[in-house]
Amino acid sequence: MTEPSGPPRVPVTVDINGVSVSRQVEPRSLLVDFLREDLGLTGTKVSCELQVCGVCTVLVDGRPVSSCTFLTADADGAAVTTVEGLSDGQTLHPLQESFVDNFALQCGFCTPGFLMMSKALLDGDEVPDRAAIVEHLEGNICRCTGYEPIVEAVEHVAEQLRGGTHG
Amino acid sequence: MTLPPFALRRPVTLDEALRELTEDSVPYCGGTELLLAMRAGLHRPDALVDLKRIPELSGVRVEDGVLVIGATERHADLATHPVIQERLPVFARMERHIGNARVRSQGSIGGNLCFAEPKSDVATVLMALGASVTLAGPEGRRTASVEEFVVGPYYAEKEPDELLVDVRIPLRDGLRGAYVKFQTMERPTVGVAVLADDAAGWYRLGVGAVGEVPLAWSFGSLGEIDPDEVAAWIDPTPDLSGSEEYKRHVTAVYVRRALAKLEQVSA
Repeated sequence: MTEPSGPPRVPVTVDINGVSVSRQVEPRSLLVDFLREDLGLTGTKVSCELQVCGVCTVLVDGRPVSSCTFLTADADGAAVTTVEGLSDGQTLHPLQESFVDNFALQCGFCTPGFLMMSKALLDGDEVPDRAAIVEHLEGNICRCTGYEPIVEAVEHVAEQLRGGTHG
Repeated sequence: MTLPPFALRRPVTLDEALRELTEDSVPYCGGTELLLAMRAGLHRPDALVDLKRIPELSGVRVEDGVLVIGATERHADLATHPVIQERLPVFARMERHIGNARVRSQGSIGGNLCFAEPKSDVATVLMALGASVTLAGPEGRRTASVEEFVVGPYYAEKEPDELLVDVRIPLRDGLRGAYVKFQTMERPTVGVAVLADDAAGWYRLGVGAVGEVPLAWSFGSLGEIDPDEVAAWIDPTPDLSGSEEYKRHVTAVYVRRALAKLEQVSA
């Protein structure tokens, strides 16, 4: 993997799920490879590599990005949240809980991407309604569920938020 | 899949960036187009010149009745920018529906125009608005209308040593605008923008995504816009989203829908 004569490496310090990580990376290092190969965080998946399917979605400073098309160098100084950062290892995140309750996954390959996209939406200023959820998740592909249970799962968490913080 | 190797340059001023640019040392911002082209083997630059740390290329402001948008501004930020939402809501709404939420949080307006993707929503709306771009190069600055700049599919009229600095949209009081698109896959089949400044008798129509480049026309009244006539003016590219005949049909339908939507938009 190390090419002695390649372009100079870039130092990066990234906060990954609350843990500060410092490395020297190749300029061409993609965030998804950095997470999966260098750090062993394989929850984030790779599929289309065209920013179309959404399975590689992670949050960089709270914004959803396709980690397959995001240079690790650009995450320097940023906070990255992956699906591994949703749960504390004991308690599931409300979105994870709701995906289970609503049968929002079958094979599960797209689930990390849907969870991270949904988290980005629910962390926003406004609690989304169903239309906003559908619109936001347009850019993610699931070949098992037919999407309805996923939208319902997110809607349930949105309702909880509305009841809890806005009611 | 791994990208081919390249060096990363990170200038912090425009002059520094201009000195870095060559045929093989290319501007880089969000990467939503460039990294895909590199992965596909279409492009193999020696170095990427990252523009994201250059303050002169960012920001949104109004200058003498012109909305000025820095080239590195990302779609997600433009969609929610208070000045754009207030002064040019049709543009904010278009930005809100580009690609998907990830593309919007990575991709920049400048990158979108320079890449000249024929199915871009941005160029269609900007052409209809009569927008222009500012380019900086070793010889100084120049201005070009978006129509002069986006001249072909994946071809913008820009020298390798030039940088797009900003996009300039003339503001009109009481402007009404609508942008509608038909989309079943990742990119639109057709996008139609219609704009009306009733006080000035200024009417514009832009049609994009159907052909190699977006097209825009001026009219003296909304009544002059004949959807079937517009469908005959375009030059559709047959592809996976439809044949030439189909695209002419969908264009006429969406010109009608854009006009119907405009009627619901108050000044």
